[in-house]
Amino acid sequence: MARKITYQQAINEALSQEMTRDPSVIVMGEDNHGGEGSPGEQDAWGGVLGVTKGLYHKFPGRVIDTPISESAFIGAAIGAATNGLRPVAELMFVDFMGVCFDQIFNQAAKFRYMFGGKAETPVVIRTMYGAGFRAAAQHSQCLYSLFTHIPGLKVVMPATPYDAKGMLIQAIRDNDPVIFCEHKMLYTLEGEVPEESYTVPFGEANVVREGDDVTVVTLGRMVHFSDQAAQAMQKKGVHVEVIDLRTTSPLDEATILESVARTGRLVVVDESNPRCSIAGDIAGIVAQKAFGDLKAPIEQVTAPHAPVPFSGALEDLYIPSVASIEGAISRVVEYRK
Amino acid sequence: MATELTKERLLEAYRTMRTIREFEDRIHADFSTGEIPGFVHLYAGEEASATGIIMHLSKADYIASTHRGHGHCIAKGVDVMSMMAEIWGKVTGTCRGKGGSMHIADLEQGMMGANGIVGGGGPLICGAALAMKMRKTDNVAICFFGDGASNQGTIFEAMNLATVWNLPVIFVAENNGYAEATSSSYSVACDNIADRASAFGMPGVIVDGFDFFAVHEAAGEAIARARKGGGPTLLEVKLSRYYGHFEGDQQKYRAPNEVANIKAAKDCLTSFAKRVTASGQLSQSDLARIDSEVGALIDESVRRAKSDPQPTAEDLLTDVYVSY
Amino acid sequence: MISVPVVPPSRQASELHQGGSRPIPGSLPLSMPTHYATVGIIANPASGRDIRRLTAKASVFPTVEKANMIQRVLGALGATGIDRVLMMPDMTGIAAAVKRAVAAHAAESHIRWPEVEFMEMDISESVDDTFNAVELMCRRGVAAIVVLGGDGTHRAVAMRCGETPMATLSTGTNNAFPDLREATTAGFAAGLVASGRVAACNATRVNKRLLVEAPGRREVALVDVCVTRHLHVASRALWDAESLDELFVAFAEPDAVGLSSIAGLLHPVSRSAAHGLHVKFANDGREAIRHITAPIAPGLLASVGIAAFEVFPAESSISVATGSGTIALDGEREIEFGPQDHIVVRLDLRGPRTIDVAATMGFAAQRGLLDI
Repeated sequence: MARKITYQQAINEALSQEMTRDPSVIVMGEDNHGGEGSPGEQDAWGGVLGVTKGLYHKFPGRVIDTPISESAFIGAAIGAATNGLRPVAELMFVDFMGVCFDQIFNQAAKFRYMFGGKAETPVVIRTMYGAGFRAAAQHSQCLYSLFTHIPGLKVVMPATPYDAKGMLIQAIRDNDPVIFCEHKMLYTLEGEVPEESYTVPFGEANVVREGDDVTVVTLGRMVHFSDQAAQAMQKKGVHVEVIDLRTTSPLDEATILESVARTGRLVVVDESNPRCSIAGDIAGIVAQKAFGDLKAPIEQVTAPHAPVPFSGALEDLYIPSVASIEGAISRVVEYRK
Repeated sequence: MATELTKERLLEAYRTMRTIREFEDRIHADFSTGEIPGFVHLYAGEEASATGIIMHLSKADYIASTHRGHGHCIAKGVDVMSMMAEIWGKVTGTCRGKGGSMHIADLEQGMMGANGIVGGGGPLICGAALAMKMRKTDNVAICFFGDGASNQGTIFEAMNLATVWNLPVIFVAENNGYAEATSSSYSVACDNIADRASAFGMPGVIVDGFDFFAVHEAAGEAIARARKGGGPTLLEVKLSRYYGHFEGDQQKYRAPNEVANIKAAKDCLTSFAKRVTASGQLSQSDLARIDSEVGALIDESVRRAKSDPQPTAEDLLTDVYVSY
Repeated sequence: MISVPVVPPSRQASELHQGGSRPIPGSLPLSMPTHYATVGIIANPASGRDIRRLTAKASVFPTVEKANMIQRVLGALGATGIDRVLMMPDMTGIAAAVKRAVAAHAAESHIRWPEVEFMEMDISESVDDTFNAVELMCRRGVAAIVVLGGDGTHRAVAMRCGETPMATLSTGTNNAFPDLREATTAGFAAGLVASGRVAACNATRVNKRLLVEAPGRREVALVDVCVTRHLHVASRALWDAESLDELFVAFAEPDAVGLSSIAGLLHPVSRSAAHGLHVKFANDGREAIRHITAPIAPGLLASVGIAAFEVFPAESSISVATGSGTIALDGEREIEFGPQDHIVVRLDLRGPRTIDVAATMGFAAQRGLLDI
């Protein structure tokens, strides 16, 4: 049996292996080691949830604490990337993109095209997203669709420890800016992860479960919810194919369209708010390119169009549930014209 | 204190300033005929700043520029022919016609890009400087920004970070008195942008941006300090732009004759020429020769830019990693 | 252009007082104005921001502090019965801050401040503003001018203020001429002089000045004239001892900071002596007779080789020997000259009149002028 580690350990291991391999890789962010300039311990935190713990002592001078000044250090990571470094900058919570978005979408995303192909910006911005932590409206969002909207950015959404490691290594080696989205509720998820270095290519969806009755396209934490729903439906004799997008940009359209061609039924499960979302985007693509294959209207399972609530009682209602996914699957199966 | 500039260096300074002036004057004229597309912000009047500062740099030193970036590009060694072609939107342009006036960049020359976002360059230049510092070079990075950008949070954040990380960055506030149509005497809450330096733990210096020698000397001190690991400096260069915020701006917000008076009293090229000839360092014929060579160069750049090909549909989706 | 006053000298404090009805000096309560007297205030918005912030460790003098100093001066002038203050307007925040402070003071305090009037004048954001403001003040008959600035600002005021006494306040660390002292006391002394409580003869002194004649221009320095081998004025300040060729000082104090400290450490010359000092530096093959360490700028201790130095009397003219270079006035390069240009430096005893704060306050104490 292969080794099992957590999603969080997988990310740490990817950083460590890439920093060993390539001295131009640096890590920076708020409290990425924790304790800079303080009288006590260095590497006191290793990131707010401990994801980068231990790298500071392993790679002296290459794990840099920053002021709480996202425009400055996200921009600095981008600038350093144009001058020979491969920075992995941590935007602690994706909700904080609002204070530094210009540097990401007007600067990093545009350089290569706007400068006629003469600039490369090999920067990775790691960021934490998702609800379930009782962290309320400003620390729980799923803003990956905003990044996906921007040409020039790659947006990566690993759902498993295996993908987290392989895709982070891929992201660090990529010469375009990559937004690497980590679901905070997945950090403790364990899974099989090879010890050696490997990459998972971008733009290739992962068919988590095969089935011919319904296609469920999903991403991030919802991959696991969707798989549970599919398992439950299996008992009812409905064979669900679950597709983990893994990257929203680039997008593996071919796998989606091929699956829908077989099943004729599509449910998209997306933890984010419904308007202008990945769910809406996938539904739009399928409606346009596979209209003839569809046997039922496309169902979208998303959070409601509301901020993320604090109270656990409300947040549990807010996040798409296994039951709501089962309901949507049932509706597309039972649909009659 | 810097030693006196050699004759070759003085000629180079004059050639750079004259090239910028001629380039901008020509674009101003051509824009008015409707031939040049888009937004164009001209640097004429501010030449002593770009020239006096960038003369201290090598290719491995980086600059981040602004929407008013032609002067910085020229001083940093970006090819004038390709710049003119870029501004005309041609495939032979510096950015193959995909950037335009506001986005000319040439990383091989250490030019990180003009920038359409006011204050956008501050964080970026910190990164370039961080890379220099981590590689243990003695390179420096210059962030040009205007009085408008001086009020942007990105500039404050970048100044703070530069001091926190002791980066080899010179923040150059080119204060031309107007952010678009709004006076800096209204929009900048303190009396001088340089005063903000002390809040970020760095020296703040004001220098006369009409005087090449003043800019060159002050920048030389700041750059030498940064190269030795002395950290960042904020240099406020007080100057004036001759043309509007963008081409087409009638500058009705300025006092009548304001530009004419400044030109008559302070023009950087006139004052440079007067002083180097009075001191006997250069002759009138030295300067006249450069004037005519630069005139010919700009003529040629416009001639080529007009006749060069446009980009085609095949160019639309190149240089971006994926499209749908 | 120089120091010949272009406006009539203002009325002396003592003249101003003649129409008054003061029975015995010092017997009046301070709160009671004796007569109408006006004081000018010049605050240079640009001072304290030159390259010495980078090359030396000179202080940054914030606008807010200049405005605070002005408020302290206003309080002191109000207490000495001055009823009107004329101020130079500016576009950079001092005037605006003072206006806000005056309004706030009127709303919340019963302590009397003079009425503050900002003069109507065009602003060029150059030294011309100071020239114009001082001329207007003198025309309006101010009895004293409080100056906040560095050597350069005081020099500009001195070139236009005629006999009107100046209360000098240094804004920053890099000055030899103005006093580095608390604004309240300076304002107090200025008020005592301007209101006529202390006569000018007991409170003021006439300073020396250095006159520089170059082709097409005549300039004034209050402290020192330095000949350098830099060909261009560039960023104006001087911080490289090796570029210095000659130095002329009107006075030289061993505890000064700036170029005059060199002379002060060689051969001190008081502000009242009828002579100056001429120093030649050991450059260009001239051999050093002495080497000294001097604070030529704040925090900048330079070692300089001295080839020669000698006292020169007032009214004697000395030709500059250097072939080409720049002339620095009070520490700032101002004049570029070439081999064909003949430069002459002369010391005279008709410089600006300044208020001696210590003497004024000593006189006031002796006479009980501030007793209530």
